[in-house]
Amino acid sequence: MRPTKRDDDAVVDLLDVILRDGAVLEADAIITVADIPLVGLKLRAALAGMTTMTEYGIFEGWDWQYRRRARDEFTGEDQP
Amino acid sequence: MNDTTIKEGRYLYCAVSIPDQKPDFSVTGVDDEPTTLIPIDDVGVVVHECNNLYDTDEVDLLRKWLLQHQQVVDAVGERFGTPLPFRFDTIIQGNDDRVREWAYEEADALSRYLDTLSGLWEYHIDVMIEDNELEAGLEERDERLQELTTRINDSGSGDGTNFLLEKQYNQRLATLKRRRRDERARTLRNRLSDITYEIHDRDTGERSINLTDSKGDESDRMTSQLTRLTLLAHENREKEIGDILDDVAAEPGVTVRFTGPWPPYTFTPAIGDELESEHATD
Repeated sequence: MRPTKRDDDAVVDLLDVILRDGAVLEADAIITVADIPLVGLKLRAALAGMTTMTEYGIFEGWDWQYRRRARDEFTGEDQP
Repeated sequence: MNDTTIKEGRYLYCAVSIPDQKPDFSVTGVDDEPTTLIPIDDVGVVVHECNNLYDTDEVDLLRKWLLQHQQVVDAVGERFGTPLPFRFDTIIQGNDDRVREWAYEEADALSRYLDTLSGLWEYHIDVMIEDNELEAGLEERDERLQELTTRINDSGSGDGTNFLLEKQYNQRLATLKRRRRDERARTLRNRLSDITYEIHDRDTGERSINLTDSKGDESDRMTSQLTRLTLLAHENREKEIGDILDDVAAEPGVTVRFTGPWPPYTFTPAIGDELESEHATD
């Protein structure tokens, strides 16, 4: 058996890995999903079956605030 | 949704060892941006210029970006060997000089990790088994199941006893199936561990995100996940891994999916922050 990279399932499976994994770089100038939790987190939450309104609402709000803070720091807005 | 404008940045794909200095390398990256390779001594960092964070709640766009990200890292791997892939949407603030500055700061770590990962790739293995194969012969070998079957057959219906006995039967059957599944998964893992550097068990539950176009194309037959593994293995071991999986796939009712070689996304470190281990435990 040879490994495949070409069938749809293989790629789909990998996309999830790309979103979640990969080297995390830590430096003042680097902005990453480590700082801005996850691209499409709202989407991820919705698709992952986290279906209760409470969970979703909290998650969404936290995500939005966390992202905005990280983005503001990154773009130099609201800096002291 | 993409209101995340930034001043000047470089989207980072991966780092890779470059035996020759300043190789000419450019492919199409995330959001169709052209990539460049910035050489820093014997390490190349692949980037594209960006003024945005990549953020969307549109599945199709996200899938496109992820595919483009992977295609860049894949192309780097094919040209130069195993890359050190960075997480999607990792962006450094500043221009190419800032990337060089950062890479010089982390030169030791980058070189060390690239040396360690040289020739190693990530492989994914999914093994499914049909439920009837998992159940085959269990009752014949288990006294408890036999006893419950006898009591169910002897019991009169309608008094609730049958219901409870059947529940016990199903619970016992589930336990035995789980043991059998675990045992077979362990056997495979042990065989593979001799020829791999590292093995991770992946969650056998649902994927965290569904990015497929397929519409629930599930088999009519009831199947269970026997195991899901992520391997870090040398490319020279690929055939041996395939041979082991051939053995497994030849077992009745078993289906094996073997994908790779992928850049070692799952086996990459945190670079540049000793406190990262604290973050990881949050």
